[in-house]
Amino acid sequence: MSLLDWQGAWQAVIGHPLFGVGITLASYQLACLAYERTRWVFLQPVLVSMVLVIAVLLLCGIEYADYRRASELLTVLLGPATVALAVPLFLNMRRIRELFWPTVLTLVLAGSVATALGVLFAWLMGAEPLIVTTLAPKSVTSPIAMLVAEQLGGVAALAAVFVMLTGVLGAIIGPELLRRCRVQHPAARGMALGLTAHAVGTAQALQEGDECGAFAALAMSLMGVMTAVFLPLAVSLFF
Amino acid sequence: MLLRGLTWLVLFQLLGTALSVLLLPMLPGPIIGLVLLFGVCLLRGEIGEPLQLAASSLLRYLPLLLVPPAVGVMAYVAAIQADIWAIVVSLVISLVLSLAFTGWLMQALIRRQARRRERT
Repeated sequence: MSLLDWQGAWQAVIGHPLFGVGITLASYQLACLAYERTRWVFLQPVLVSMVLVIAVLLLCGIEYADYRRASELLTVLLGPATVALAVPLFLNMRRIRELFWPTVLTLVLAGSVATALGVLFAWLMGAEPLIVTTLAPKSVTSPIAMLVAEQLGGVAALAAVFVMLTGVLGAIIGPELLRRCRVQHPAARGMALGLTAHAVGTAQALQEGDECGAFAALAMSLMGVMTAVFLPLAVSLFF
Repeated sequence: MLLRGLTWLVLFQLLGTALSVLLLPMLPGPIIGLVLLFGVCLLRGEIGEPLQLAASSLLRYLPLLLVPPAVGVMAYVAAIQADIWAIVVSLVISLVLSLAFTGWLMQALIRRQARRRERT
């Protein structure tokens, strides 16, 4: 069977432009399956698929730059997906009429505190400027965090990882921490989870109930938009 | 239906990109697109069905779209290792503090609003 060119076929497959898309799709579905089966908060699909894709790339000896070029088909959709965030934001707007001022004040004060604390501690611990700017948007949902991190001169990929870690951690310790701080109002619990732990926190809040979930979704989208609009402005004013 | 919604989303993103280059270089195009679309929704007071369909379909696969950028972390292993403790400590402490602060503040503000309403 030495007539068959196995080596050539293998090279043709991993060199094909669709190989990157293929492994991404496959890894993501595997990761989703693992999450649905176990319901384990640590098994965030993005985190697990990231590990799977990296493993495949290392095994096949593919550079990240080549993979990024191959997966452009997917990443180009991030722009319209970010624009699409306006829809859930608008749908949630109706709910906040009742609690308009508490929501807006909490968003502005607590949102700024969440961002400032992350930057402050990273700076105090002597992290590189690259890491500090990448940590700034950590409380925001990943597409926005990645856009903002890049805008600020950080690293989009790292921002995605920090965002994931923050979200998973927030979902794990959030409910217990809020209980100990005697935060019982569902809107307040949802607001805290969504504002600090974005999508993962929102998923957690949805399990606590409708009102909690709605405020988490609202806090997540408002925090995202506020960070996207004001963080680059603030940075360009101060530095 | 889906395509019409998608076309709107792409259109708003491109409009955002144009504005970003022309007027607001510090904001990314998609974010300007988001704000524009939100503004249009507020003005009209509703969202068309094609747009809702396209947005929910796209957002359902948002995690998938984020995988390729997240894989980029493999190019920054050295930078992470150098600052690993700064990263861990600042992530954990700032998360715990801001989570507690947000919940406490929101609850305090809700109660204050409720008391004011009772008085009036």
